[in-house]
Amino acid sequence: MTKRERMMKDLEQDIREHIETETQDNIARGMSQEDARYAALRKFGNVTRVKEETREVWTFVWLEQLLQDFRYALRVLRKKPGFALTAVLILALGIAANIIVFGVLQAMVLRPLDVPRADRLMTLARTDQTYPIFAYPEVREVRDQNTVFSAVAAFTMGDFGMEANGATRPVWGYEVGGQYFEVVGIKPFLGRLLNRSDDAHPGASDAAVLSWVAWKNDFGADPNVVGTKIRIDKQPYTVVGVTPEGFNGTEKIMEAEIFVPIANEQSLEGVNWLDSWNEKGRVWSIVRIKDGVTPPQVQADLNAIASRITRQYPKEEENLGFKLTRPGLVGDFIGGPVRGFLVGVMVLAGIVLLAACANLGSLFAARTADRAREIAIRIAIGSSRWRILRQVLVEAIVISIFGGACACVLAWIALTGLANWHLPTKFPMRFFVLPQPSLILMAFLISVLAGIAFGLMPLRQIFKADPNDVIKGGGSQSAAGRRWALRDVLLATQIALCCVTVTAAFVSLRGLSKSLTMDLGFNPKNVVRTEFDLNQASYTPDAADHLQRQMLEKVSALPGVEAAGYADITPLSMEQTTLAVFPQESSDFRHSQAAFHAYHYKVSPGYLAASGTALLAGRDVSFTDGPKTPLVAIVNQQFVRELFHSEHAVGRYFKNDQGVSVQVVGIMGDGKHFTLSEDQEPAAFFPISQDGSNNTTLVVRTHRDTGDVVTAIRDIIRDLDRGIPILESGTWSSQLGLSVFPSQVATVALGVFGAFGLLLSIAGTFGLASYTVSKRLRELSIRVALGAQAKQILETALGRMLVLLASGAVVGLVLGVAASRLLSAIVFQASARDPFVLAAVVFTMLLTGLVSVAGPVRRVLHVDPATLLREQ
Amino acid sequence: MSTKEQRERIELLQGTLDLLILRTLVRGPVHGHAIAKAIEFNSDDVLQVEQGSLYPALHRLIKRKWISVEEGTSENNRRAKFYKLTAEGRRQLTVETSKWDKMAGAIARILRPAEQEGE
Repeated sequence: MTKRERMMKDLEQDIREHIETETQDNIARGMSQEDARYAALRKFGNVTRVKEETREVWTFVWLEQLLQDFRYALRVLRKKPGFALTAVLILALGIAANIIVFGVLQAMVLRPLDVPRADRLMTLARTDQTYPIFAYPEVREVRDQNTVFSAVAAFTMGDFGMEANGATRPVWGYEVGGQYFEVVGIKPFLGRLLNRSDDAHPGASDAAVLSWVAWKNDFGADPNVVGTKIRIDKQPYTVVGVTPEGFNGTEKIMEAEIFVPIANEQSLEGVNWLDSWNEKGRVWSIVRIKDGVTPPQVQADLNAIASRITRQYPKEEENLGFKLTRPGLVGDFIGGPVRGFLVGVMVLAGIVLLAACANLGSLFAARTADRAREIAIRIAIGSSRWRILRQVLVEAIVISIFGGACACVLAWIALTGLANWHLPTKFPMRFFVLPQPSLILMAFLISVLAGIAFGLMPLRQIFKADPNDVIKGGGSQSAAGRRWALRDVLLATQIALCCVTVTAAFVSLRGLSKSLTMDLGFNPKNVVRTEFDLNQASYTPDAADHLQRQMLEKVSALPGVEAAGYADITPLSMEQTTLAVFPQESSDFRHSQAAFHAYHYKVSPGYLAASGTALLAGRDVSFTDGPKTPLVAIVNQQFVRELFHSEHAVGRYFKNDQGVSVQVVGIMGDGKHFTLSEDQEPAAFFPISQDGSNNTTLVVRTHRDTGDVVTAIRDIIRDLDRGIPILESGTWSSQLGLSVFPSQVATVALGVFGAFGLLLSIAGTFGLASYTVSKRLRELSIRVALGAQAKQILETALGRMLVLLASGAVVGLVLGVAASRLLSAIVFQASARDPFVLAAVVFTMLLTGLVSVAGPVRRVLHVDPATLLREQ
Repeated sequence: MSTKEQRERIELLQGTLDLLILRTLVRGPVHGHAIAKAIEFNSDDVLQVEQGSLYPALHRLIKRKWISVEEGTSENNRRAKFYKLTAEGRRQLTVETSKWDKMAGAIARILRPAEQEGE
């Protein structure tokens, strides 16, 4: 028995005792038994009220009432499971979208790198481009001359062949400067990290540091791993330490497994660029700002260093400038678009949730109107309006918390899936977006806010309700559907928003389907692509050249092979390099004087045919084009247009950035090189026999089953040298996945939003239409009884809805066309002016309208005046 | 709604009933009915408490721990709840009484000039 129950029992006893005593007193004064008891009761007052007041002393009344409201809300929802289910589903989707987007935003943008004092960690970038990449000496100068950083480190990312425990495996790793771990500031999990002396000079140290993941996966979490001898690209290394769990390098989506000193760069990559000022595309850099140094001081120091370098190396450095950007997402190169995209999607998710709330709000308002009579009676017998409002609010919040709980489950599944998903690329890209518990709190907050937002919609109705009017008027608000109400505007807005998302989804879908069938300039169908890096097997350039030719001969001899060739880089592989091109008459070979920059490939004979690149004029490259013969190239049509301004280019010359003349021997078709959404860009193919490369990709066109060919090629490579790690091997089409990836993401995201928007619109329109119809059913019946035709009745009942639908859709279409321009950056040839897109949007909206008003229309047409008028 | 009889009685100010109950209990533990009678008797029947309203007030005081309740036997030999002042309640009575005196004095000072003007 609770204290309250005990006290209430005492009270009852006390009251009985009191009245009994008073009665006895009255009898003593001479009253009759009956009169005495009656007088005693009268004198005591209202027993129930006394009990209630005493009960209030012992309870938190509001809490008890709240519980009552909750129980009532649950009962109401159980009674109308259809409504409850729809509402919960809509909210679950709306809230889940917000949580997922917020989870990704948090992981990618908001959460800093998991290192101590992450706010002092910055990426060094160039002022003239967003891709933060440098020549090694540039970073070295900043490291040695600055006064504002406690540490500066250059690093490169690359794939290595790691031999450990008797097996060779390609791993991704960083070559890092000696101050890298000072910049990062983490403590080793085992052993030690790399330090300045490891990076003092080439060969200073054979130390390698493993990431926690690599230690776990490749070394079986061996606690005695420190001191283990391994080989990286056939060079001997010793494991000296393991990084702590959760540290995967300083780029968020690239998972590094091993760290080695950058001083050993030449032995790993076969070329030496540590002293080259011209190789601007070699290293990235990350810095730690000293405590107490302000951003302006940093910038001033960086400017001073840049101008010193420019004075000292006027030929190599024309317009060098440094700046700092936030670390983790390749500076502003990916960071900018990613931040923009995520913020955009977040806003979209917010709008969708708002639309969902508006929708549920109008459904709620409609239900409140249905309950007008009940509310009026409750107000008439003395319930406070606040109490009624609270009840509606509690009902709304119960729904939204159910929705939020479902949303949490959905978001958890989606984010975990995303975190465990490997992008279709050889790069070790992962989204570290594992859901955080803080998201539950976020979901709860959103749910309550959403609940309040749509629960407050019937506010005006409740506070304006006049019990006299409602009860007298028999509950038929004949004004409904005549005046323009807030919910009409909300519905139109929502249809407009839905139309925007639908338009965007169609534009993006159309772009995606175009990009799947577009002319790439090459044909990846029935082509097997095998990438391997002979650097990782320590080949000299001559040995590599020999092996590559041998491999080409053997592969060409395979049955079913139509054509085969190899190249240092293939189009759309994300590794594109460019070459500055100068007119033949140039004498100034600074990069700023270049006519343009062209994509630059080194290819073997047969590559054109194997890749399906069209040779329009001239000849293919040949192995007779050697290091000693004059330089030649095959260029594409765009190259010809931009440099020669005519169609006849075979036999003409241009100069490279060394000032050496190159003769054009062939012309090929245009195509895509870096992204699918790019315009036509100039490109040039050079014979790989004139300037070799150790890192090549074998391209084989076959009419046999590609799977067999993949295996056959792997066998050939293994027979030639077991130590060659194969980086990628498979069909070219599947490997191109990454190129269509941005459009796929955009299409899926927009498609989901579009479908969700449609669902909302249908629910909203259906709700409002049936509400309007049911409110005016009596009036409509009278009209039918008086002889109105079906057409007139429909016009009266739902004319307003059609106007709303049409105007919302038109506004939405206009907005959608405007918004889809933003899409063209992500999706190939995205345009809403496409008649196909326009037609699809219009058709979809018409269908939406039909589906959502079909029910109410049927109800209107089947109005039977006799039944209805008898009922009321 | 109010009858003539009711109008002649003085409505109790908020919190005054609490003070009166505490004062009544100074003389020792009393049961509910006796408290009501005592208040009416001591005020020459000017203060007529609606007897029921006594009980929420008593429970309020119990909750504040100014009074306690115990079982006992009433004068006509029946079991009844006896209400008793606690040490804390006794202190509170002193505080409340001096507060009341101050307030009564202040109101009297405000009202006296008005009476003179009126005359």
